[in-house]
Amino acid sequence: MTSTNLFEELFFQALRIRLVEERIIELYPSDAIQSPVHLSIGQEAVAVGACHALTSNDLLFCTYRSHAFYLAKGGNLNEMFAELYGKVTGCASGKAGSMHLAAPEVGLMGASAVVASTIPHAVGAALAAKQLGKDQVIVGVFGDGATEEGVYHESLNFAALHKLPVIFLCENNELAVHSFRKARQNYEIVEHAQIYGLPVYQITEGYDFVKVSETMAEVIKQVRSGQGPVFVEIQTFRYKEHVGPGEDFACGYRNIQEAQCWKQQDPLNLYPALVESFRPSILQEIDAAVHFAERSSFPSIEELLRDVV
Amino acid sequence: MLCNTNLTSSVTEEKGLDQHLGTEGGVLSYRDALHWTMREALQRHDSVVIMGQGADDHKGIFGSTIGLAEEFGFDRVMDTPLAEEGMTGIAIGAALNGLYPIQTHIRADFSLLAMNQIINLAAKYKYMFGGRFDVPMLIRMIVGRSWGQGAQHSQSLQSLFAHIPGLKVVMPSSSQTILHTYPKIIADYRGPVISFEHRLMYDLNFHVEPVTPNYGDDPFGSYLVRQGDDVTIVATSIMVLEAMRAADHLAKVSGIQSEIIDLHCVSNPDWNLVMQSVEKTGRLIVADTSWKEYGVCAEVCRVVAERNPGCLKKPVVTLAMQPAPCPTAKSLEDLFYPDLRQFVHAIATLVLGSEEHGIQLPDTQSMADVYKRFKGPF
Repeated sequence: MTSTNLFEELFFQALRIRLVEERIIELYPSDAIQSPVHLSIGQEAVAVGACHALTSNDLLFCTYRSHAFYLAKGGNLNEMFAELYGKVTGCASGKAGSMHLAAPEVGLMGASAVVASTIPHAVGAALAAKQLGKDQVIVGVFGDGATEEGVYHESLNFAALHKLPVIFLCENNELAVHSFRKARQNYEIVEHAQIYGLPVYQITEGYDFVKVSETMAEVIKQVRSGQGPVFVEIQTFRYKEHVGPGEDFACGYRNIQEAQCWKQQDPLNLYPALVESFRPSILQEIDAAVHFAERSSFPSIEELLRDVV
Repeated sequence: MLCNTNLTSSVTEEKGLDQHLGTEGGVLSYRDALHWTMREALQRHDSVVIMGQGADDHKGIFGSTIGLAEEFGFDRVMDTPLAEEGMTGIAIGAALNGLYPIQTHIRADFSLLAMNQIINLAAKYKYMFGGRFDVPMLIRMIVGRSWGQGAQHSQSLQSLFAHIPGLKVVMPSSSQTILHTYPKIIADYRGPVISFEHRLMYDLNFHVEPVTPNYGDDPFGSYLVRQGDDVTIVATSIMVLEAMRAADHLAKVSGIQSEIIDLHCVSNPDWNLVMQSVEKTGRLIVADTSWKEYGVCAEVCRVVAERNPGCLKKPVVTLAMQPAPCPTAKSLEDLFYPDLRQFVHAIATLVLGSEEHGIQLPDTQSMADVYKRFKGPF
């Protein structure tokens, strides 16, 4: 694939995620989506770049902010909208909502609302992959806030100790809800990860999906060859409030200049002609998915106690 | 079922369990039953891994995993870092990708560090994702008692876990229940199971039936372990043994016949079995290894109160730990747990309707004194 084609392919995917989330914002006031939404807008390039070099056999565990990863990993859009609408045709039959998207058929292994709690799952899945001789790379995705949790450290240590085929992917947007990283951390994330003996990669241009994709391709190759876990930190930027459809620059805790600076480099803002060329087909797909969700049924009483044990 | 002999355990890998038990049944310690099920699981299922602090060391989880790392490999019987939450999450991830992890906590108290993974993740992974995932795993937690276990080595936390939908919680009270339930759970059940094993029972010998135990097929059932018409005793774990001792004493000195139900699966008991018995006897004693408040005692009362409170001829009696953390000094610990004398007195009072029942009580002896084979230190 030429680099132009790669750029356009990733651009298309990132734009698709953004337009999906913009539709969610449009729909939100109608109360059709009765679920807390943690939007990925601004962070799409991380998911798109990271998933590009993974196969559907490779597994990925993520966080409550997972619309982007769900779509980038190949999750079904109809089932996503149906899930947000609380419909029985959703990817989790209406029991997950926005925070627990999963698509095991393409290796998206679930998302948790409790920060850092899926990181050890990625490590455990990597342990199984190694012991059962599966040709799999496992990715654990988390934010900068997760690195403060004890279980994060426990996971890195075990993965390094057993040389497991896992990639720790930190989406660093510098924010935990409304708290800046510098107010929370007395360490640098990659320096700390190196203490466990992990090779680390850092990408500061987290809007650049091609760069993310190329770095991740190299990392995935390294991990697949059995050299043990790798740590990747990608700097990114959350355009929206922590949870909900709005922006929160007016609240005074964030600097809007920083956002503007980031947006000026965001490819989705830099190539309006490319946006216009892709937009119609994407909107058509989104319309169909929303229509599917609207027409689907709510789960009935027999779903209430199904799949408890 | 408890076999008060001093036979040392004699199940060996060379001899095999079938041969050991023969056609008549035989004697098997709780520890050997555990060891046999662990070994059998590793042998029968390539997916099984045992992970726990010290699982591969010379003490091997009080003997229940001893030698298995050498036999099956240190990647299948793994020592772990001191990281309860992380290791539980790792077990969940491993289960999601094809392994069957058996995790061990040498004291149940340590599992409190893993509550997030057990309750927020393992218990919910199937339901929360609409049935698209299974998390098959067994978490073995050992409850300590006596020899100064104290406040943090003695807790019996079954009610915390049984409260949570999505978890199955069992409390094997004998070698037989281990042999009957563990292999079935590991082979057939696709969700997370928590088993509370009692440290005091590890050293006890039990009579075990031969190959096909008459215990039904459900590893999550409850068991009728003694029949009687005068009173129903619903008990868990080692309190089943205490109930048997009390019932035997009363049968001998007074003719009172106690019916005893081993609740076994405290998260999903066989309530029909419990209700049939209570409706027959009209009298109920609940004996649990933990505190009364919001626990097994409370839950059994709830179900009887909801289903048929009119069947009770007398108020329910509960026997459990005192409402305090567990003290270390033996003088206090002996007061902390109900003893045999209290148990017999409670049954006699309930059945005969007066504390002046005139029935001879056994000498006061704490369970640790009776089960002298536990000499500490841990």
